[in-house]
Amino acid sequence: MKKILVPIKRVIDYAQKIRVDPTKGPQGVQLKNVKMSMNPFCEIAVEEAIQLKEQNKGAEVVAISVGPKQCTETIRTALAMGADRGIHIETKPDVRGDYIDLQPWAIASLLKGIVDKEDAVDLVLLGKQSIDSDCGQTGPLLAGLLNAPQATFAANIERGDDGSFTVERETDTGTETIKLNASGKPAVITCDLRLNTPRYPTMPNIMKAKKKPVETISLEDMVKELGLDLDEVLTPKNEVVEVYEPPPRKEGETVGSIDELIGKLKEKGLVA
Amino acid sequence: MRRLQQATTSSLSSSLKRRALCPPTVHATAVLSVMHQRRLKQHLIPHYCVSLPQLRYSSSPAADQASRLPSDFLSILQQNHPSLKISLNKYELDAHGHGESHHPVSPPDAVLYPSSVEEIQDILRLCCREIHREGDDVPTVEIVSVIPYGVGTSLEGHLSFLFPQDSDDVVEIPSSLFESNNDQDKQLLQNEKKKVRIKRKGGISLDMCNFQSIGELTPGDGFIKVGAGVTRNSLNDALRHTGMQFMIDPGADATIGGMTACGASGTAAVKYHTMRENVLGLTTVLPPQLIASDTHDSDSRSKPSAVTCGSNALKNSAGYNLPALFIGSEGTLGIITDVTVKIYPIPSHVIAASCTFDDLHTAAEAVTMIRMLGIPVSRIELLDKISIRAFNESVKNEELQPMEEKATLFLEFSSHSESSVIADLSAAQAVCVDDLSGSNFVSAGDEVTRNKVWAARHKLYYSSIALRGGDDDGATSQSTIVTDVCVPLSSFADIISATAEDLRDLGVFGTCFGHAGDGNFHCILPLRPDDTDEYKEKVFKVIELMSERAINVGGSVTGEHGIGYGKKSFLTQMYGYSGVSLMQTIKSSIDPWNIMNPGKIVDVELDVGATKKKSNE
Repeated sequence: MKKILVPIKRVIDYAQKIRVDPTKGPQGVQLKNVKMSMNPFCEIAVEEAIQLKEQNKGAEVVAISVGPKQCTETIRTALAMGADRGIHIETKPDVRGDYIDLQPWAIASLLKGIVDKEDAVDLVLLGKQSIDSDCGQTGPLLAGLLNAPQATFAANIERGDDGSFTVERETDTGTETIKLNASGKPAVITCDLRLNTPRYPTMPNIMKAKKKPVETISLEDMVKELGLDLDEVLTPKNEVVEVYEPPPRKEGETVGSIDELIGKLKEKGLVA
Repeated sequence: MRRLQQATTSSLSSSLKRRALCPPTVHATAVLSVMHQRRLKQHLIPHYCVSLPQLRYSSSPAADQASRLPSDFLSILQQNHPSLKISLNKYELDAHGHGESHHPVSPPDAVLYPSSVEEIQDILRLCCREIHREGDDVPTVEIVSVIPYGVGTSLEGHLSFLFPQDSDDVVEIPSSLFESNNDQDKQLLQNEKKKVRIKRKGGISLDMCNFQSIGELTPGDGFIKVGAGVTRNSLNDALRHTGMQFMIDPGADATIGGMTACGASGTAAVKYHTMRENVLGLTTVLPPQLIASDTHDSDSRSKPSAVTCGSNALKNSAGYNLPALFIGSEGTLGIITDVTVKIYPIPSHVIAASCTFDDLHTAAEAVTMIRMLGIPVSRIELLDKISIRAFNESVKNEELQPMEEKATLFLEFSSHSESSVIADLSAAQAVCVDDLSGSNFVSAGDEVTRNKVWAARHKLYYSSIALRGGDDDGATSQSTIVTDVCVPLSSFADIISATAEDLRDLGVFGTCFGHAGDGNFHCILPLRPDDTDEYKEKVFKVIELMSERAINVGGSVTGEHGIGYGKKSFLTQMYGYSGVSLMQTIKSSIDPWNIMNPGKIVDVELDVGATKKKSNE
């Protein structure tokens, strides 16, 4: 196995409380002075890539991210976990990655260009969705653009000696097993929660990561290099109309007896 | 009856020596009978555990009863702090009245969820207040008890609300202790004293879940400042990409504030020690020194102070060791709001191992020898054969292999260097196998296999309970007593073996296991509803014998779980009257009105220079 690409996204840390400024309309989600981290599903994808690399000596893991200059830190995190090198497509500071400006179609287009440029890519591993936009589209769109086999919501991945991938896939009703045959195209797999537990890198690995190569290229230059249209990339296909905090949960009612409970349920039309 | 009379006729300014603890001899069944129906299982408890010295303390009645708080207490707070969440929900009150032990539930009258130090200062100030009620001859000083709450995993009744007995007697308190500032009272201030009655008016739980801050980690530093409500797992999760981790690992995912208050530690203590050695500093809100006036002026001079103590430096010999005072204080001295804790680099290489021994004593000797030879271990746990039996019973349905039913040592070695861990492993193996005839020494380096090697240790708690469970009337975690002692290493082998023998001789079901490298071992003693009183007495006997042996060798009656009220009676045996008396002095001077978690660790009478006057004088 030669090369595994892992696109990763820098998002608001999952443990942070999201703040919405109601005066800012669609741009209401506060990004300033908020702790940012690698998207948890991307972490799982990186971990899976490292495990596959450990099982297949000689494989190279490349971490890719599109975002402001702080994305290099996110890439360093992937390098500390064991990725070999990084590619950072740097956007201007005011370009938002949380669905406002950059959306899956643009990302998938950029990634397709990178896959073609890199050549000999066996596998692209992505998180199943990002926790800010929750789209879950980048993986499937990329597979479509590449005309490549895909499997989403992977809970287990096994690589065959013939270069095929057998994926156990999470669905609402159970697990489905899909085999992606070796096709000359990279397999595109998106990763779900049960796939693995991402490792916590040790200090020596964090320090080694500082020396691993990260290629930084501006979005504008990358777009030009790939022959894409900058406007196309930066104009979102979907417009965010409104952003608001969910209404606070209403307090429940305490009832004194089963009869009272049934009475209330009937009152609310919840039982006949 | 006679004891009750003694309590009310003794002067409030009596010397602290007379407040020495005596082991409670009162049966607490009357108290149990008013417990909430859902807590029926508490009836299982041997008498020692329910050491509510009934004549001096009462526990709260079932949560169905009316609030005992002063009528305006919550409304004043809500008015001054509209965003402060207050809950009177019966289930939340109940949940905040117990930890994870067998000790009876005693809920607060309200649960408050503060978000700032200022809110806590205002809350505590209101907990000791002078109230003038119509028709009363003298004002009343109303005292509300406070217990801070993390995630409720404490084990010795720390969270049960206990209330010192009230009396109707009028007492005279020095006027300098009152914050009141209106003209009428200025005349009183010139006199020395003021006549009041003192009444306890219920209790509140301060849930610290809003204190979730995690500070910035400066590269090169080995510490981090966190809010008291941060749990240890969420702290480590936040640190996951820094290469550092917080290494203290008690079984529960406890809050850092709670771990500080209870002096917690776990299996990693043999390498990384306990909270006592890992707290560099903390901020705590102290209870009020003065009695607040009836006016709700939040600028008043009686506002309780918030103290930040300690230093980010690893060594500090500047002044009294204030953080040490609060570590292990179990909520009796103040409300901890944030803690600066040490963190350590994740080791690059880890090897786990296990070894079987013919008897518990020999296994314990192996531990002592490993420690005496200076072989570094990162974890070393000893399980007796009953623990292994419990594990074997529990794996019947799983892929794990049952183990040989003998005393077993579980070891772990970690280091930055692979050759170093391998050398440590070999040295320990030589001790276990060559010197002490241990057998079946297995080791593993990769995480998956390491977890399999240690499975019996990881599953110990629930598999021990399951030994007496399995049916509707089986033991559960609420009916299981978990107790621990800690002794010098030289006595460890003898004492853990003696306890295992007691279990056998008395026919008590239980597992003995321990953090052997520290001389600390636990007993898990599951109880069932159909256990006879005779059986429960035997369980009590095991614990009593264990504790006495520990004290006799200069050890501690609790290495990790704390005193709460469950083990108060042992403090005098451990520290003598003068030691306990010094603790009472500290408690009385920091918390003169006994607002903070009364009835835990030490008992105190109000020692504010008050003299009791009969009401007709």
